[in-house]
Amino acid sequence: MSDKEYKPVTVDKPIPNSFDLGNLATFDPNPLDNSKLKDSAQRNNYLTEVTRDNVQLLINQILSLPVKTTTDNHESSSTGQNSTMTLIQLPDPLAPLPREKAIPKARAMTKWEKFAAKKGIKSKAKDGKMVYDEETGEWVPKWGYKGKNKDLDNQWLVEVEDKVKNTENELIDPRTLHRQERKRLVKKNELQHKRNLKNGA
Amino acid sequence: MIRTVKPKNARSKRALAKKEAKLVENTKSALFVPGSTSNKLLHDAMCDLMALKKPHCKKFSKKNEIRPFEEAAELEFFSEKNDTSLMVFSSNNKKRPNNLTFARFFNHKVYDMVELSIQADDCKLLQDFKKLTFTIGLKPMFVFNGPAFDHHPAFQHIKSLFMDFYRGDETDLQDVAGLQHIIALSTGEIEDPNSTTLPMLHFRVYKLKTYRSNQKVPRVEIDEIGPRFDFKIGRRISPAPEVEKDALSKPKELEARVKKNVNTDFMGDKIGRIHVGNQDLGKLQTRKMKGLKAKYDQVEVDNDDEEFVSADEEPQPKRQKN
Repeated sequence: MSDKEYKPVTVDKPIPNSFDLGNLATFDPNPLDNSKLKDSAQRNNYLTEVTRDNVQLLINQILSLPVKTTTDNHESSSTGQNSTMTLIQLPDPLAPLPREKAIPKARAMTKWEKFAAKKGIKSKAKDGKMVYDEETGEWVPKWGYKGKNKDLDNQWLVEVEDKVKNTENELIDPRTLHRQERKRLVKKNELQHKRNLKNGA
Repeated sequence: MIRTVKPKNARSKRALAKKEAKLVENTKSALFVPGSTSNKLLHDAMCDLMALKKPHCKKFSKKNEIRPFEEAAELEFFSEKNDTSLMVFSSNNKKRPNNLTFARFFNHKVYDMVELSIQADDCKLLQDFKKLTFTIGLKPMFVFNGPAFDHHPAFQHIKSLFMDFYRGDETDLQDVAGLQHIIALSTGEIEDPNSTTLPMLHFRVYKLKTYRSNQKVPRVEIDEIGPRFDFKIGRRISPAPEVEKDALSKPKELEARVKKNVNTDFMGDKIGRIHVGNQDLGKLQTRKMKGLKAKYDQVEVDNDDEEFVSADEEPQPKRQKN
């Protein structure tokens, strides 16, 4: 075959194109001919011509980028063939395009976290939810269903605490007091959680 | 604002997490909304624009009485409800015939809008072309012809809009076989820079054909596959400067970290410099012998009687050997 059969792959432009290869785009700064664009008979051929030249330039640029070849193994499939893919490594996109949503902000520190950071308090290593119950010789949860913090609730005899003595609570069942205390702490924690969420927003 | 409740199960939690703002964002999806005055041509045009955008698109079938340039709240509601940040709205009236409003949203608020009016005389839909179509979900190539795209604000807007609309997934690896269709936008010269009438915008879509050229790169030919639209540019809303700044900002977390003390020499070898810290010969571990143990160290003791070391005494500070 002679060289004459092949059409050229180079394009000459008075002003060279700029490219945004990350978005596979090219920008041609050369002005188009308004008289041809206004004539409906010529318009489409003219546009096709100009676009072809620009696509040629774009393809030339894209194919000169570094290439990465990957091989997919299909040994498990019935054909047992490997397929190779030629992937072009694109640079980062240049065109500034707006985001869809704002950049997510980091979660605000809770009141405790701020305090701990100021005081240099490190959080304890988590040692799990279960604790060993020496009396029964079993592992029980620290809190929750059958939790260790409810030990007092079902004992037949409970000592009245010193701090309750000589107050109006002295005659109330210490088991009820204990349970109330637990419920109060849960409420308090919920309140703090809510406050942190409100302050963080 | 749409009321959000705390998700009660994992599925709704996942669905909400998908809508949240992310560092690396989802591909933008588009919503096609017919206006109350929409007609057959606009419907077909929207279908064709949607075919190019598939699978990241959604279409409303009912007409909506909205005037985007007067009251965009309803569009913002649609954007939030459907989690789409691109929208095409169609309307047709005597002053602005066959109008498509392209809107972009940031944080579900209108970011920018532009009206493009389809010129009916040279409009060819996808179905009018030969059956040569594009594969769904491929990234298109973009060609922008004309210097106006570089310096005129309206055309810069349109350039940014169409690239945003159709670029598809953001990726750094592109399959050669996936380079199939080209979206070309062209505009003529702006004849009178003072007049408000802008030249037409020509929207064309082509399919790529490559031929052997006896060289490394192939000879390229293109076939028009449609749709083909000529747009007249109408009203336009550009983003507010502070919103634009927010929208264009890049997250710091994604910036590539500069690797310190690593460089490549002229042979292409990677050379790293490391810090080994101060060398303290006093702490050097030499041969271990019983006689070198700390407790046998000879130091001046005040009274020789108390030579023994009791267990509950505090450990003495480490003395320098030799």
